[in-house]
Amino acid sequence: MNKPVPVPTDNSRPFWDGLREHEVRIQQCDECQHWTFYPRRHCPQCFSDQLTWKTIAGTGTLYSYTLSRVPTAQEFADEVPQKLAVVQLDEGPRLNSTLKFLDEADIEIGMRLKPVFEQRQDMVLLQFTGADTPIPETENVPEEAQPSEPEASDAPKKQIPCNDIDALRSLISEEFGPWSNVVEVTQELIDQFAELSGDDYWIHTDVEKAKKQSPFGGTIAQGALVQVLQSRFHIPQDYEVTGFNNMVNYGSDKLRFPSPVPAGAKIHMRSRVKAVEASASGTRITLEMHTHVVGQERPSVINDIVVQYM
Amino acid sequence: MGLKGNAAIVGAAQYKPEKYATAPRAFHVDQVAELTRMALADAGLEAGDLNGLAVNGPWFNEASTFVPATVAEYLGTELSFAEVVDLGGAGSVAMAWRAAAAIELGLADVVVCVIPQRMAPMAPDADPMAMMAAMRYGGHSTAYGAPEAEFDIPYGHMAQNTGYAMIAQRYASEYGYDARAMAKIAVDQRTNACANPQAMFYGQPITVDDVLNSKLVADPLHVLEIVMPVAGGAAFVVASREVAARLERRPAWITGCGEHLATKSPTYAKNVLATPIGPASAKAFAMAGVKPSDVHLASVYDCYTITVLLTLEDAGFCPKGEGMRFVADNDLTYKGSFPLNTHGGQLSFGQAGTAGGMSQVIEAVQQIAGQAGERQLARCDTAYVSGTGGVMSEQTAIILQGD
Repeated sequence: MNKPVPVPTDNSRPFWDGLREHEVRIQQCDECQHWTFYPRRHCPQCFSDQLTWKTIAGTGTLYSYTLSRVPTAQEFADEVPQKLAVVQLDEGPRLNSTLKFLDEADIEIGMRLKPVFEQRQDMVLLQFTGADTPIPETENVPEEAQPSEPEASDAPKKQIPCNDIDALRSLISEEFGPWSNVVEVTQELIDQFAELSGDDYWIHTDVEKAKKQSPFGGTIAQGALVQVLQSRFHIPQDYEVTGFNNMVNYGSDKLRFPSPVPAGAKIHMRSRVKAVEASASGTRITLEMHTHVVGQERPSVINDIVVQYM
Repeated sequence: MGLKGNAAIVGAAQYKPEKYATAPRAFHVDQVAELTRMALADAGLEAGDLNGLAVNGPWFNEASTFVPATVAEYLGTELSFAEVVDLGGAGSVAMAWRAAAAIELGLADVVVCVIPQRMAPMAPDADPMAMMAAMRYGGHSTAYGAPEAEFDIPYGHMAQNTGYAMIAQRYASEYGYDARAMAKIAVDQRTNACANPQAMFYGQPITVDDVLNSKLVADPLHVLEIVMPVAGGAAFVVASREVAARLERRPAWITGCGEHLATKSPTYAKNVLATPIGPASAKAFAMAGVKPSDVHLASVYDCYTITVLLTLEDAGFCPKGEGMRFVADNDLTYKGSFPLNTHGGQLSFGQAGTAGGMSQVIEAVQQIAGQAGERQLARCDTAYVSGTGGVMSEQTAIILQGD
């Protein structure tokens, strides 16, 4: 998802080189012994230009943090709530980072932290976790990255005849049902859809230009593509509509694309029964289907789809 | 040393805050010209009286540099003092004292301070996507070598919301946190906005529960504790004692000022809870020869509720760590024991970008002049006005006084 990657300078290169070797290196002033972060050419305490790079343990304490429940930029939507932290290294300097492998309830200002070395493209970022928190071996593979099939339920499904309006109406709920399986919206899929539909606007297809000019930090999927991918989702339901000869997609009462889906994003869907209506031509069930980028609160597609049973 | 109190704010103009999507667009030079004309008229001055300018520099639409000369040329005015201010939300207050200093030095005698913040018309060939991309990280530089491009943005540290949220979290860990008291700041200011027809949220009172039930954006900040960005813009006119003497309005003399900044990111502040408004306010009060207890109106920059709390404490209106109790114990409305942001504050008036702080200056001027309508204070001889830029990055305070 094209998260921003730091670009080292002559000033900072030893820091980033150190992280690649899973070492934390910062500068100390030869004259006043003040430790400095971020890297620079002078000591901000005494203005001396005699600084020496030193390897430190990288441990520290949590000075402050927040859980951002709205992505600070689209590229970070998959992390919501983002666990943004200010870490005070044991040597004194503070730095901005993010917390890993910690539940919200386990985060406390003043807690001890140790470094986590996180690969991002060809760079390694310095993140942190609790001093006693185990670091999973598959640290670089986020949990949601593994597409999951919902577990097949052995429980018998409730069978509802399509002409039993009252029984169908009992399914109407304000609450959404369980999440579907996860589907990855790859650039390849976006390119194929561009060819098929003719919607090949650069923000969908020109990866290099989008990296520089897209407000989303990269290419995004066509809204229509994300809409039709709803056919790829399977949602475990505890009911089944029966007794019809034919079932058709009658159309949509409402279709919205409230937030973009960046290329490479994992998406999933959930739905609820919104309305049930008997008509001369059959029974119409309106399903409110919401497709989200995994972990993101704001849906990417809202589709009130009407299914007609006849 | 310091200001002698020989310059005063004598007129002002402010666009009514509007939603960006539906607000009129105009070139910044045209907004500057219109606001200047309106502010001079409000003061009872004419085009030929103007000889000084303070204008915000960043993101000025028609000039990437040489902003004052561009503006002077467009206005058709000769200037003997020109200043560009780049202090974010602290800019409005910063302009006021710079104008006063220039006047006391004899460089100019009528200075307009102006910040246009409506959007400019889009060029026919403009790519809206590219424009959105340029604004993607707000005030965070993506330039090669910019510390924040290298050490903040890759981690997702780029929004004002999360910076202020982390300050609030740190405050909570050191002094405790009363979410209802914090919400009360927004509620009392909304009561004030309901007495100000110009405010964005006029006619929409809220309760403490409304604030606490509003969407949690970044712990502990709810959406009703965060300003709403709006299109707008404002100007005020600072004039010398000689000019002010021939005008009808009661002048708001600029009798004290202070400014302080050390870091752009609060992460690198020595103590994130000892904010720059502390030393800035101490200097302003000392220069004016008044104390916090002499203040009739606190016009406190309020991008977030936490900004107000820390300003009340660090400016000396209450002891450190007791801000929440102070807020809970006082009625902060125009009818109350401690009138705060009687125009509604930016939280309820709306934040027109870096012109947001203009609303705090202009409210103080109107209260001193007795022109605040329904929300007029019975007595307003001394007002404290603060400005805050970035994430408590740069802060400025002035004292305004009526005769």
